[in-house]
Order: sequence, then structure tokens, then C-alpha cells
Amino acid sequence: MPGSTIVEDIELIIEDIGGGGGKNPPPGGDDGDEGGKRRGPHVPSSRRYATAIVIAIVSIVMFFMAMASAFIYTRANSNRWVPLHLPWFIWVNTAILLLSSVTMELSRQRLALADVRKFRQLWFAATALGVLFLIGQLVAWRQFVLAGFYVSTNQASSFFYIFTGLHGLHLLGGICALLYVSFRRFEKAKVSRSVAAEVASYYWHFMDGLWIFLLALLYLGK
Amino acid sequence: MVTYDSSGSAAPEAPRSGFLARTLFNTGHKVIGLRYLWLALGSVLLGMLLSLLMRIHLVWPGAQIPFLSGFGSTPERYAALTMFHGSLMVFLVLTTAPQAGFGNYFLPLQIGAREMAFPALNLFSFWATVASLVGMTAAFFVHPNAGFTLWSASVALFCLAALLTALNFTVTTLDLRAKGMTLPRMPLTAWAWFINAILSLLIFSILLAACVFLLSDRLLGSQFFSSLTFLSRLPPPLAQSTLLSLWQRLFWFFAQAEVYVAMLPCFGIVSHLLSIFSRRPVWAERAAVLALCGVGLFGFCVWGQHMFSSGLNPWSPLVFSLLASSLGLPACVLLFSWFGTLWNAKIHLNTAMLFALGFVSLFLAGGVSGLFLARNDLATASVSDEFVTGHFHLVMGVAATFAILGALFFWFPKMFARRLDETLGKFHFWLTFAGVYCVFMPMHWLGLMVHSRIPGGDLPAAVPPGASLRTFVTFATILTVAAQALFLLNFVWSLWRGEKTEDRNPWRAATLEWSVPSPPPTDNFGACDPMVYRGAYEFSASGVATDFAPQNVAPPPLERASQWKQAAEASAKES
Repeated sequence: MPGSTIVEDIELIIEDIGGGGGKNPPPGGDDGDEGGKRRGPHVPSSRRYATAIVIAIVSIVMFFMAMASAFIYTRANSNRWVPLHLPWFIWVNTAILLLSSVTMELSRQRLALADVRKFRQLWFAATALGVLFLIGQLVAWRQFVLAGFYVSTNQASSFFYIFTGLHGLHLLGGICALLYVSFRRFEKAKVSRSVAAEVASYYWHFMDGLWIFLLALLYLGK
Repeated sequence: MVTYDSSGSAAPEAPRSGFLARTLFNTGHKVIGLRYLWLALGSVLLGMLLSLLMRIHLVWPGAQIPFLSGFGSTPERYAALTMFHGSLMVFLVLTTAPQAGFGNYFLPLQIGAREMAFPALNLFSFWATVASLVGMTAAFFVHPNAGFTLWSASVALFCLAALLTALNFTVTTLDLRAKGMTLPRMPLTAWAWFINAILSLLIFSILLAACVFLLSDRLLGSQFFSSLTFLSRLPPPLAQSTLLSLWQRLFWFFAQAEVYVAMLPCFGIVSHLLSIFSRRPVWAERAAVLALCGVGLFGFCVWGQHMFSSGLNPWSPLVFSLLASSLGLPACVLLFSWFGTLWNAKIHLNTAMLFALGFVSLFLAGGVSGLFLARNDLATASVSDEFVTGHFHLVMGVAATFAILGALFFWFPKMFARRLDETLGKFHFWLTFAGVYCVFMPMHWLGLMVHSRIPGGDLPAAVPPGASLRTFVTFATILTVAAQALFLLNFVWSLWRGEKTEDRNPWRAATLEWSVPSPPPTDNFGACDPMVYRGAYEFSASGVATDFAPQNVAPPPLERASQWKQAAEASAKES
């Protein structure tokens, strides 16, 4: 099923490009393999959700890359750069977020074994760890403020707040998605539980990787 | 067997009741596409009036126009006027009409889908676009300082809407194509919308990031573009130009590619129209598709071209100059494809075709002056003067508008089951075509004149160079804007009283949208899903009544082999 959706997507595209050109024999009705995936909206295919999340991730990467390039540019050209001392609590948060990703993978393994009850527990634990991370970020902000760094203090602190803030905002969206998977009744839904969990997990792991990237940027570029 | 029963007896969906669901919250892709077009029409009229006001104040600064003179009388108001004109035209007309407007309406129809991938998201994008229009308009009327904050927020909202629309387009094209609609069989319009959606996904995120920085600077007091940042190390004149260097980088990264966001769907539309009205397949269709991809790719890389005047590493102008010039390559491929299609063809010169040909002419004329600007030594001299203004209005603004008008004349029978009047349309075309050349060609000369003046030369200082030329441009603008009344008249009259088209395929085009009744039913294809058997441009040169093969008609199995043999013989004969 959609376990290897992206690879399938790419394969399909390549196959499309290489395959039936305008003058080639028409496929008739014999493309049974694709037929299952391409249905009208009366029986909506769930493939679109996986595709959409991958494309959305590309777009979000561009968004944060623009910000990262602004950071690097300012760091290289500014003469008023004040080095940044990251609040120590941020390292605790990082551990929490990584743990959340691991928990999520464990829970999806349970789902693959059709153990819905255990899946729910672990999934809920992953969500709770995500919420904990957000609270932890607020604690880190508090530490930073107590150390005398506000948004407007210097360039480095501006970047610190905007990076953590925007990442937190994106993560909040992820938490909403996780809660949706926890509480949605999938008996009558258009998507199956495993697809919803998979799509949410792509985003969640991406948030994880994005955080590591931003942290590395702030730490190495301080 | 692939006849679409449109009687509605087998329609699976009952029409949803509820006034709100049918009006404000209607998620149908055709409804939303049409609304985007109305939005763009309103914006283009407003933007044109603003440009008229600008031209009048430029030539007769003391002119007192009743009600309107307050809008352009002081430098701040004039700057606000320019900004409002630019925002309306770039965001709400050039970005919205060809992609979100025609794209929303016709992409699902052309690829054989019944709806966009995420209809609710589509609805949200539309209302976010409306909100951003309202915000930009309000920003024009309030105090400049608050106005700029409001403008940044509106642009950020527009970026979000554009991103979601692009996401919707990409997923729809990848996952919702009908059976047999392989990528090479997609019409060039669908290709252009698809590539454009991917480009939009990449660049609107960058503008969104820039807007977030800007808003954070203005509202939270952060220091991303703060005036203190770069000043102290540099000598004052250099500091002035480096001051906003970061903003310029982020902005031009977006804005240069935005030109191609406006142009890509127009390329697709023009290739489509040229092929249909010369009754020939698109010449070198694969190359044209690759060229569309190339425009997207190169267009993404030439942002540095705008930084020639604001200080860069000495080597980078060379790189960007090369990149900018290399855009000529895909542009040439597209031009060759268009001329190859037209070569020796029996051209049907109706209004839609005239506008497509007008696009080719304007694109060529504007592209030639673009070659001057791609050179780093010349561009330094001519930045932000009338040469640049003339160049980008001709190639981006007017050419794209011609493609939009061509598309409107082409698809009007499908959207409203009536035709636009051809006689009025041709009058409108010729007046506009002559008008825009009279407006924008002298601007090129003006730009060159200003820079070719010898320093300390003997031109009298009291009369600015080219004053009479400027007056000429203003008169031409007034006439061109007045000519648009013909279009409005034609549009409104044809909506209610235009010649009815009973035929569902009046242009004898091969793509899927012409296989359904006009206007298309809510679920597009009736009871059974469409099936695609061939490419989108199978026109024979013979000129008989059935000189085209619709994409959805299956060749009879026994005749297939003989057809191929005939086709092979025909192509052998041609060569």
C-alpha cells in the first residue's frame, strides 16, 4: 500500500515520460495496476494525501532555507553580531522531540501488526512528547528572557526567536494532525488509519529533522 | 462507447442544498476558477485606471482631476499609487488570472478529473486572495507607515494562498489524471500549469519568509533589515546601497521568478491556441515541454541579475549575466515551436488566434530588449529607468494580458455557452495592439536618451529630455485604456446576448473539456470516467470536417493497425 508511495510516484512519472507518447498504441483498459489508484472522487484515492505532504514539505524547506540564507548572510556581513548563548534547556527539548519520533515509529509498527489499542497508547505518548517539547521551548524562551535577550536585543536573538517561533508554529500544526489521527473514527472516513498515520508521521519526522537543522545553524553560526 | 450521457439521470450526486453552500462556500473548481477571473477582471480595470492617473500626474503635475487628484499629488501618495498599481497587476492579475483562474476551471477538465485534489483548500485559497486584495486596497488609503505594515501582511496572506493553490495543482496533476492520460498526452496548457505550480511552490515560500521578516521587524522590533545593521562599517554612499541588500536579495529571488510564474501558463495557452487555430499539431511538442521546464529552472536562477546595481562579488555578475542570457535558449525553442506550428498552416484568424499571435509579437519585442538588460555592464546604467519599465511591461504585463484575452475568447463558449462578438473583438485587438506599442516602445527610447546624454552636455536643463515623447506616451495610454471599453462592452453584451453555441466543440479542439456539454456539469464527466487514447494535438492537415481526433475517442480495434500504417506512410511521404 502507500508504504513506498514516493518511490512509486517517481517510478510512475518516469514510466509516464518514457512510456505512452502521443503516437504509441493506446493503453485501452488494460492498465489494471494504475486503475486501482486512479479513481474518480466518488471513490477517492488516498495517494493524494501522501503526495501532498511531500510537496508541502518541499515548500516548507524552501521557506526555512530562505530564512537560513538570511541568517548566514547577516552573520557574514554584519559588524554588530553578538554571539548567541543558547539556553541549556533547549538540549533537553531536542532529546524530547527525538524521543517523540522514535515513539511514533514504534506505534506505527504496532499498527502494522493490527494492534490498534497499543498503537493508540504509543501514538498518544508521541503526541504528549510533542506538546512537552512546545512547553519546553517556552521554558527556553523564558530562560533567554531572564538572561536579558529579547527579540529586539540584537540580530542573533532576533533569529533565535524567529526560528524557534516559526518551527513551533509548524509543530503545532503537526500536533493537530496527530490529535486528528488519535481521535478520528476511521470506520467511515475516506482515508484509512494507516494512511493517516503515515502521512502525519512524514510531517512529524520532517519537523524533527528541521529542528536539528535549525539548532545546528544557531549553534554553529553563533 | 465513450459517449458521455449528460442527461443527468445517472448523476450520482444530488445538488447540495443551502444558500451558503452554493454561494460563499461553494468548493466546485469551476465556480472558484470563474470567481478568480472576476477578481482579476476587477483588479485589472482598477490597475489600469491607476496607471492612467500616474501618467497624467507625470506629464501634468499640476492637473486637478475631480475626486482623484489627492491620490497622486505628493511624492508619498505617488509612491503609494505606483505600489498599489504594481501589486494589483502582478499579484491579482498576472499571477491569478492565467493560473488560478483558467487553471482552476480547466485543469481538472483537461486531465479528466472531476474536481481538484483538495476542494476545501481551494476555497480557502480563494477567500485568502480576496482578503489580501482588500488588505492591499485598504493599505493604499491609510497612513503610509501603517499602510506598509498592512501591505506586508496582505502580501504574506497572498503568498499563503498562492502556495496552497500550487499544492492543489501539483497533487491534482500527479494523482487525479484520467485513465490513459499519461504525462506526454497532457495538453501543453496542463503542462504549463503543472510546471508553474512547482515553481510557485518554491518561490512564494521565499517571499513569505521575507514578509515574515519584514512584519517581525515592524511589529516586534527585531533586527533583520534594521538600518543600523550594515551602516557603521561602510562609507556612507555605499552604505546606502547596501542598506537593504538582504531584503533585495530575498525579494528579487522571488520577483525575477515571479515573471516566469506569470508567463509560463501564457506560454502553454499560446502554444495550445496556435496549434488549434492552425489545425496542426504543436511542432516539436516534447521540445516545447522541455523548454517550459527550462524556463522554470533558469527563471529560478537569475535573481542576481537585479543586484548588478547594488553591489555583489565581482564574479557573480558574470555568472548571473550568463544565466540570464541562457534564458534565451528555452525562449527560442518555444518561438521555434510556435513558428514551426504556423509554418504553411491554414490559419484561422479569429480573435483568439489574433491575441495569441499578438502575444508572440510582444514577447519577441520585449525579449529583444531583455537581452540588453541581461548584460551586466548595460544593466548597471539602465536600472529602474524607463527602458526597464518599457521592457517588463511589454514582455510581462501586456504580453501576458494578450494571452489571457486569447484564452478568454477561446474558452468563453465553454464557460458560458455563448460566443464573444468577433467583430468587436477584432476592433479591440487592433486598437490595443497598436496602443501598447505606442505606449511602451517610446519608453525604451526615453530610457536610452537619458543615458546617452553627454555629461555636462548642452541640452537645456529647463526642458527634460523627451518631454514631448512623454506627452505622446500619456496620450497613447489614454487611448489604449479607452479602447478597453470595447472589450467590456463586448464581454457584458455577450454574457447576456451573445450568439449561443449549441455545439459542445465549436473550435473542433481535441482536448477533454470540449467533450462535455457547455457549461460543464457539476461533476464534469457525467456517469462514467473519461478514458484517454491519444495526445492532445492530433490534427491532420487535410482540412475536412473531421480533421482532428478527440483524446477520448477510441480508435476502432480493427482499424488501428491500418491507421498506424497510413500515418507512417504519410509521414514518410512528407519527409
